[in-house]
Amino acid sequence: MTIMQQENKRKFWQMPWGYPESITITAGIAYVGFVLQMAISDFNFYLLTSPVNLIVGALIVSLCLLTLTIRKSKFLKWFTSIPFSVCLIIALLILTLIMGLTPQTGTAPADRNFFTMLGFHNMTGSWPFILIYFTTLLSLGSLIVRRLAKFNIKDYGFYLNHLGLWLVLFAGGLGHADMERYIMHVREGEVEWRVYDDEGTVKELPIAIQLNDFDMEEYPPKLTIIDRTTGEPQPLSAPDYYQIDTKAPTGKLDGWELEMNEYIHQAVRNSDSTYREMPMPGSTPAAHITMTNPSTGETLTGWVCGGNRAQLYKSLELSEKYTVVMTVAEPKRFMSDIEVYTPDGTTKSAILEVNHPLRIKGWTIYQYGYDNAAGRLSSYSSMELVYDPWIVPVYIGFVMIAIGAIAMIVRGRSPNRKTLLTDNQREE
Amino acid sequence: MNWDTFIWFALPAMILWACAGIVVYRKKSKVLADILMITGISIYTLFIIGFWINIERPPLRTMGETRLWYSFFLAVIGYVTYRRWKYPWLLSFSALVASVFICINLFKPEIHSKNLMPALQSIWFIPHVTSYILSYAMFGAATVGAFVQLRKINRKGLSDKKIFDLLDNLVYVGFGFLVLGMLMGCVWAKEAWGHYWSWDPKETWAFVTSMAYLAYIHLRLQGKKYEKTALWLLPVALILLLVTWIGVNYLPSAQGSIHVY
Repeated sequence: MTIMQQENKRKFWQMPWGYPESITITAGIAYVGFVLQMAISDFNFYLLTSPVNLIVGALIVSLCLLTLTIRKSKFLKWFTSIPFSVCLIIALLILTLIMGLTPQTGTAPADRNFFTMLGFHNMTGSWPFILIYFTTLLSLGSLIVRRLAKFNIKDYGFYLNHLGLWLVLFAGGLGHADMERYIMHVREGEVEWRVYDDEGTVKELPIAIQLNDFDMEEYPPKLTIIDRTTGEPQPLSAPDYYQIDTKAPTGKLDGWELEMNEYIHQAVRNSDSTYREMPMPGSTPAAHITMTNPSTGETLTGWVCGGNRAQLYKSLELSEKYTVVMTVAEPKRFMSDIEVYTPDGTTKSAILEVNHPLRIKGWTIYQYGYDNAAGRLSSYSSMELVYDPWIVPVYIGFVMIAIGAIAMIVRGRSPNRKTLLTDNQREE
Repeated sequence: MNWDTFIWFALPAMILWACAGIVVYRKKSKVLADILMITGISIYTLFIIGFWINIERPPLRTMGETRLWYSFFLAVIGYVTYRRWKYPWLLSFSALVASVFICINLFKPEIHSKNLMPALQSIWFIPHVTSYILSYAMFGAATVGAFVQLRKINRKGLSDKKIFDLLDNLVYVGFGFLVLGMLMGCVWAKEAWGHYWSWDPKETWAFVTSMAYLAYIHLRLQGKKYEKTALWLLPVALILLLVTWIGVNYLPSAQGSIHVY
């Protein structure tokens, strides 16, 4: 290195700051986070419940807007610079990478070790994550304010992506504490307004749900050979299953050849142990099969049925040790015919099913579950009730990012980006 | 058409793609390479269509099915970008990687049942998964390009501007699809599970992956300064992507994930 170069070289901490300072400061923020984590344990996100989050939010927005007054400062240029953004992105990457490798148990496990003291088991509630999150909100927010101050319509991709992301981070994070989620179990024919939170505490809601009917459709089940004493499907190393399919009525199970002669999806048992079709809540799938052992030529024919609370199962015995059984049918659809009441007299009725929730008065009601052991015969239906007042800004953010992403796909790395490049180089 | 007949479509497609990947280096055989590649893709497409009809649901659920699409998109995107940028290595490498994923499906098909659980029965299912697989194919191609560029820098001491243009475009388009896939997943999750982001292991890893590509995009805005760092980020990001896509099923931290099928 020549003397000239040495003289021109910027010293550490001498403005304008670049990567060395950005890395140091980002690491410093994370370090403070880890120290806080060890000293006072998890950040309690529910401290941010309304109106605290509104105040914090207003503070963040004002801080970002206030940077307009120091537009020319070298500090602000660094704070909104690419090196600092890259460092924050990498910091988020590392923290979430740790999160992806550590089971997120939420509460600290009984055996406290170094990693749990650093908050790895509950990353989103740990201080390093929170501090990096708030720094990102401030840095990204200030950058958006700075760029909006010299608005140029050609930069629409930049505005959409950055403002959209900021909105999602802002509303998603700060709004988290205001979100309410409860589970309600309603018995058929009854009205319910008591719900359970995730700790099992009972609460009464200003919403009542009446369950008129719970119904379920099932896929055809599978057939397999099990050991009659242990119940283990055979062969033990890699069990064979035959998926019932009337278009493919043959299969192989543990060396036996299977042929399905008849399949009834909703069957009831006759007095002579045969089955007939009868669509009703207590019906069960039943298959009439022929099993052939190719090595011995032995052939067995009979009915196999999965059974439920209303009907006994039926298996086809192959030997003293093995028997053919039907698996529990997998649900295809399950739905609740409900009526929802609110105190002001609004009522709504709907068929609730997975992927088709019902919205009423700021609440969203989801089909959640049923009595798994009873299956179709479940006498109750479980629903999840979600109240999420910050969803609107998040979705606005989603729309903005989506348009920005489409712009990225259509334009690729556009020449417009290069003006940004020269702009930033000028600032360096 | 089902997994048993897959080999009768996969084998001809792979042979045609291999031939295309070889003859593309001969200046006189460019048209032949086009014909070979397109015929291979057509045969492969035929299988996907037949398979879709046969299983009576979109083939997008199991690992084997997503690999089926990955091979398809990689072949198509490899061919289209080759036509646009004229690099023969783009065609050979995408043909090779597409074939590797076909072979995985031939030897370890992971055939699961036809049944689609209620949560997956949504209009978001097809666009969510295809958008992701499209972006994976772009990022796969970009990684190969990153190594080509690194070799150029090491040999000549200078990067090739045209390759960087290609890489940046691949990453921009790939990132666009990745983000769209994520957003559709968010909206779908809100409809099905009550929240748009729950830090489920697959979501966490998708976030990690997107951060890596976001870092690449920002590093590249600084011109020549951090070329090599940016280039090395691409293979690292691809490893993270592979964990998101395939590895999550095997991670101890991801047992109980709602994304494991």
